[in-house]
Amino acid sequence: MKINRTNLVVFGLSVMLGIIIAVQFKQKVPEMIPVTLKSIETTKNEINALYKEIEELKIMIKDKEEKIEMYESILDGNENLSSVLKEELRKNKTIAGFETIKGPGIMVKMTDNMDENAFGQAFDMDLIHDTDVLRIINDLRIAGAEAISINNQRVLSFSEIKCGGPIIRINGRSIGTPIYIRAIGDPQVLSAAINAPNTYGYALKNISQINIETSMEDEIIIPAYNGVFQFRYAKPVREGD
Amino acid sequence: MKSKKGTIAITIVSILLGIILSLQFKTVSATVGEGILPTQRAQQLAIELKKAQEERDAALKALNEVEDKIAQYERGEADNNVIIENLYKDLEKYRILSGYVDLEGPGIILEIQDPPVDVQYGIEYSIVDDLDLILQTISVLNAAQAEAISINDQRYTAYTEIVRAGDHIEINGVSINSPIVIKAIGDPETLESALSIKRGIIWTLRYYDYTVNLIKDDNIRIPKYRKLIEFVYSQPVDEDIN
Repeated sequence: MKINRTNLVVFGLSVMLGIIIAVQFKQKVPEMIPVTLKSIETTKNEINALYKEIEELKIMIKDKEEKIEMYESILDGNENLSSVLKEELRKNKTIAGFETIKGPGIMVKMTDNMDENAFGQAFDMDLIHDTDVLRIINDLRIAGAEAISINNQRVLSFSEIKCGGPIIRINGRSIGTPIYIRAIGDPQVLSAAINAPNTYGYALKNISQINIETSMEDEIIIPAYNGVFQFRYAKPVREGD
Repeated sequence: MKSKKGTIAITIVSILLGIILSLQFKTVSATVGEGILPTQRAQQLAIELKKAQEERDAALKALNEVEDKIAQYERGEADNNVIIENLYKDLEKYRILSGYVDLEGPGIILEIQDPPVDVQYGIEYSIVDDLDLILQTISVLNAAQAEAISINDQRYTAYTEIVRAGDHIEINGVSINSPIVIKAIGDPETLESALSIKRGIIWTLRYYDYTVNLIKDDNIRIPKYRKLIEFVYSQPVDEDIN
């Protein structure tokens, strides 16, 4: 075989290619992670959610720092601690739902459809179920409701909403139809959360044919939680105790 | 052409190289999966994710520090003044009720895993499509007198919303993925039986092919709510002073 320049060049390039490929595989193999379009999308979502969470945390930290400043000014003797604590107490009591509050908002009235042939064969589709109420409450919360009541029972984190035969139970009390859900917040947004196409409320009204009426009101009064809630199992975790 | 031999040799080597290369790619795609993008983008995202997580952890730590400091101030004064001590106790009570305090106690842990993909028909659905079931689970737990509930370590409060956002769920504005882990503090027996009653929540979930695990635990820890609630629309109603 004659060794000419072309052969040499091809030989040299082949050897280089071999080395480069070998190096490439050696380097990448340990770090190779399964990457699909879906996983990239998920990661992006996760990152966005994290940034949102950080934003929330920063707001919270700022609030707490202001509080610290306040306490420090108390230590300097400029303010009265008990009045500050009272204010704090009032605020937390309101947030916990143990104060009656009022404000603009909407009232949603839901009644069963009493029409004999309202909805085909599934005879109980046109009745209000606990899921329907739960979904409506969840939609109102998404729309930024500040306080919600069902037939004047305050809905809190520990409020159960449960079907019990012909009635619905909430806060240990029975309520029947019509169901009045009241919520304080931006009336326009709250109303949209129930009435806009593609919402659960819209589906209930137009598919299940449950009677839902909403009315925006300037002043809605939402009562304080009127039960007694006692922690028997849960204990607060406090560092340094 | 001058050297036929040489050309043939190079051709054979090239074909061999091609076969080896394609073998290698086949092996890689078999072990890694189809639809791979250049890893560069994924690595970028992974780095960004890690950064965001670190930032979040730092913010959480900072929040804990300021809260500790506040607790110190409040308690420091409580020791030498009865009025302030009572105020502080009341304040703690309502903070616990609104979900601003970590809680621990006996209870249950419910883990819901997405159903396996139906290989035959390619039907795929996840808990994201069945948000009602989460809402119902919470309602049932509350009916069984749960004292505190969390979903994937997000405290369930009176302000907690459960939103579908694409193919994941957002709770308290935080992104949640399957598996869903719901923790509740309360009487473990009551909570368990409320969930596992015939045609109850667990029955329904299993009926839809979700993999469900229910564990009773003596020491469940439920984290506090980490969002600031500020009322814009609501005002207190001045009740008659007793």
